[in-house]
Amino acid sequence: MSQRTFARSLGIRHLVCGSCNGCELEMNALAAPQYDISQEGWSIVASPRHADVITVTGPMTEAMRLAARKTIEATADPVVIVAVGDCASGEGAWCGVGSAGAGAGGELGAAVVVRGCPPTPDALREGLRAAATLLDKRNS
Amino acid sequence: MAEFYRERTVRQHDLPAELAKIANGALLLGCYATERTVRTLVLSKVGVLALRTPLEDGEAWESLTARYPLFADHEREMAAMQGIDLRGSPDLRPLYFRADAIPEAILAEGKGVSGVVVGPVHAGIIEPGRFTISTAGESVVHLDAQLSYSHRALEPWFEGRHALELVPKVARICGNCSVARSWAYARALESLAGIELDEGAEFARLILAEMERVHVHLFDLGNIAAGAGYGKGTTAALGLRERINQLNHAVSGHRLLFDSIVPGGIRVGTLSDPASLRTLLRELRDDVKRFLDAFFAKRSVLRRLEGAGIVEESLARRFGAVGPSARASGIACDVRTLAPYGAYRGFTLSEVQAHSGDVYARSEVRRHELERSFDLLERALRELGSVVLPVPVQIALPSGTMTTLVEGARGAESISLSLDGEGRVERLHVISAAFRNWPLVTRAMEGNIVPDFPLVNKSFNLCYSCVDR
Repeated sequence: MSQRTFARSLGIRHLVCGSCNGCELEMNALAAPQYDISQEGWSIVASPRHADVITVTGPMTEAMRLAARKTIEATADPVVIVAVGDCASGEGAWCGVGSAGAGAGGELGAAVVVRGCPPTPDALREGLRAAATLLDKRNS
Repeated sequence: MAEFYRERTVRQHDLPAELAKIANGALLLGCYATERTVRTLVLSKVGVLALRTPLEDGEAWESLTARYPLFADHEREMAAMQGIDLRGSPDLRPLYFRADAIPEAILAEGKGVSGVVVGPVHAGIIEPGRFTISTAGESVVHLDAQLSYSHRALEPWFEGRHALELVPKVARICGNCSVARSWAYARALESLAGIELDEGAEFARLILAEMERVHVHLFDLGNIAAGAGYGKGTTAALGLRERINQLNHAVSGHRLLFDSIVPGGIRVGTLSDPASLRTLLRELRDDVKRFLDAFFAKRSVLRRLEGAGIVEESLARRFGAVGPSARASGIACDVRTLAPYGAYRGFTLSEVQAHSGDVYARSEVRRHELERSFDLLERALRELGSVVLPVPVQIALPSGTMTTLVEGARGAESISLSLDGEGRVERLHVISAAFRNWPLVTRAMEGNIVPDFPLVNKSFNLCYSCVDR
């Protein structure tokens, strides 16, 4: 029997791994009335244990690596990791610069990639819908 | 008009006396090292003065922190990045760390004191930091903020690269203060090259910088509303911010205005339709005013802001606070009025001030600064008229050292730059307003209740990316 994941609602945990905060500004824009993600049944959750989706930004930093891995480990399967922005996708301004990694999405196994520096709220919404579709498949 | 930047060599032994002479009436901006030369930066009415202190082989840096607490993290950065032997600082923990070697947090000791640790991953869409809160009952006794989770060692990577190649990188050091930093970087290059900009380009830069201030201030007020449990205010502020982000996109092709200011002018195609921008900004201004009037008429919300997170003027001064957070404690520190640059030179501006130093005052300052920004936008767009903006001027880059300052939404953003004569960067150092203000957040929490941490924190709403770099 297949059942749509809570009618495609998503609990989202956000993980910042060396982003410039531009991606965060656009993630926050999703709560503006013009986008209003609460109407999609999406919410930003207070624990990785509550998360269906981990959104991750930045190239990855040495100081975040352990906390990032622990966050992923703390989630309950199934969970979809979404690489948000060019840096997390491995193509951004800070990938491989200084002590930064090559992209947090690749390192953590992102299944969905949302490009942009930063991505627009519309692109983010599309990426999260793609994550909901993947979760539907994994839950069926 | 050329930038006013002077350097004077001062031996370390004489530095405290020099600073004591200058410090009264000037703004201490911190210090940074290039290999074994330390520059201590001061802003006075005539511009930036750098006290240049070369260290001998084997000479340690005797910390200035006991006398001037604002130097604490600047000195820790010199120790971490240039290997300067730092002596006598009250906090000698490494400023940057790897995940497998996080320094111990500082916990208060005493009967009934316990610790709460939050972060580096948080329950919202915010950057990473680890906060260790020592509490006695519900009250915060001490807050230790360990940032550095966004540290990417960017500054050493800049060295040896061509200064113009780094323009898009500088715009992305931090998403919140991108325009301000790009402007400071462009001015440093133009000033070293000795070029002046066309008046139209200067008006255009002012417009872009004020649009950045509007979107950041609206976001900050929305976050303060969230911290006070005023959900309607948060939604309204985010809705208004979205409108300015859409206007940003219309004028620059980028919702956060990245890459719109380039050395030699502004990017081709930016601000191509000032007349319709003026109309749309007037509409936005009316709606922002309605939002602010409603926010500041909500007694029950304001009561939650009053008395929370108080920063006394003397504390703000000792820690070298800048921006709206310092102005809320009665300190005059707006670079636009203290050391005007670009088109600000043509306008008479009075600095917004408040005095209670609490979350309310920091909100009130932003409220009035929003009004001023819309005023400036209207005036600059009127001056700009319908001129066709010039293409960026080509610049030739000689060797030299320069520090420039721009008033970003969070306060004084500085770029310190040394070039080698062939256009390559010898040193590019960023001191952000957030770097300058973080120590205040920790002090502001003392004596407040733990549940007010989000409210007090958001009333500063400091970035991490430009702090950690």
